[in-house]
Amino acid sequence: MLNFLMAAFDNLTPMNWDVIKPALNFLWQGLLAIFVVIGLIIIVVKLSAFAITKSAEAKAKREAAANEQENTDNNP
Amino acid sequence: MDFLLQGFQALTWQQVVMWVIGGLLIYLAIKKDMEPALLLPMGFGAILVNLPLSPVIGDPANGEHLGIITSLFKVGIEASEAMPLLLFIGIGCMIDFGPLLTNPKLFILGGAAQLGIFVTIILAAMIGFPLNDAASIGIIGAADGPTAILVAIQLASKYVGPIMVVAYSYMALVPIVQPAVIKMCTTKKERMIRMKYNAKQIPQLMRILFPIIVTVVSGLIAPDSLSLVGMLMFGNLLRECGVLKSLSETAQTTFSNIITLLLGITIAFQMQADQFIKIETLIIMLLGLFAFVFDTIGGVMCAKLINLFSKEKINPMLGAAGISAFPMASRVVAKMGTKEDPSNHLLMHAVGANVSGQIASAIVGGLIIGILGPFCGL
Repeated sequence: MLNFLMAAFDNLTPMNWDVIKPALNFLWQGLLAIFVVIGLIIIVVKLSAFAITKSAEAKAKREAAANEQENTDNNP
Repeated sequence: MDFLLQGFQALTWQQVVMWVIGGLLIYLAIKKDMEPALLLPMGFGAILVNLPLSPVIGDPANGEHLGIITSLFKVGIEASEAMPLLLFIGIGCMIDFGPLLTNPKLFILGGAAQLGIFVTIILAAMIGFPLNDAASIGIIGAADGPTAILVAIQLASKYVGPIMVVAYSYMALVPIVQPAVIKMCTTKKERMIRMKYNAKQIPQLMRILFPIIVTVVSGLIAPDSLSLVGMLMFGNLLRECGVLKSLSETAQTTFSNIITLLLGITIAFQMQADQFIKIETLIIMLLGLFAFVFDTIGGVMCAKLINLFSKEKINPMLGAAGISAFPMASRVVAKMGTKEDPSNHLLMHAVGANVSGQIASAIVGGLIIGILGPFCGL
């Protein structure tokens, strides 16, 4: 049992700066990358939503104008 | 008569410990209703693979007949990570991104709630785990089983078994872990912040474009996340396109059930006593808890930070819902909200943050593989 416990600590190398340094780099690299991806997705989603709303409004206006024209043609 | 005693003679104490762990997982699944679809097959699998001379884990490399669990593991997980990835199609089909599209700002909380992953990687590295193992342990903080499996397998971690068990069992502990952390980081006044929910109709075109946008943006910046994000978004496109109802229903029910069933029992391959009974497993359990706690802190603190600059205040508890454990995290936050003020309904906002966490965790999984791959010789 004691050997079993000691074996774990043989497998681990605490405070090894060769491993810790790149891990610290991943912290800022990873967080920066995730926020860049999320920021871009938010921007593209907002732009798409804006374009879809505008195009729906323009379509509604065109249809209203066409209806008005039709009414004018039918009742001169 | 020796042939009758072969099994007993080959039995080790580590295998008996694994039976107890298997029994515990089955107990948690049945009695406590903790992720039963996964913990029950994993628990039974843990017993199955730890019976002495078990043929289900036979490996031709050792001169044995190919066992069924070995075969499922090699084909379904090791060779292509097919099982966890295919499960993402079903998950994508189940998720309604409407609440997130109503308030895209909530996406930021999903990103912030991944903080625990990176902090845990550093802590695991400080404890002495090699970089690939440290990253695989950190990804437990994604609160997302398939992502944890994929990262651990791709980074060739030695601790795939413990990581899988901890990832799935801790997801079930969200209702216990998160409330304490949320209370620690927020005041009562903050927890009572009300938010308007604008239940506007999201155009179907937007719902169809969303999975495509997420896939393209993630693919361009974090190409390694594409297998996870792509499958998740493919599932969501099936759901939202409106013309593939039967495929969507199949993916949400039968397909997901089959994959979940096979995944649970296949994961048991990694629960063989000699790989599992180690002091490192206990350390991984503690680190997994640490990751969940820091995820919650990251999300809550980010919401507080946004409140410093925003006119419309966010209830900071929503930050905690930014983890990927869906829908548990959003339920916890909604429940805490109504407990503080019975007329404060945060569920839809919490769901928005929660589904953003689902996407963010898949992206982070890919980012970790992409950033760490070269360091791990992949």
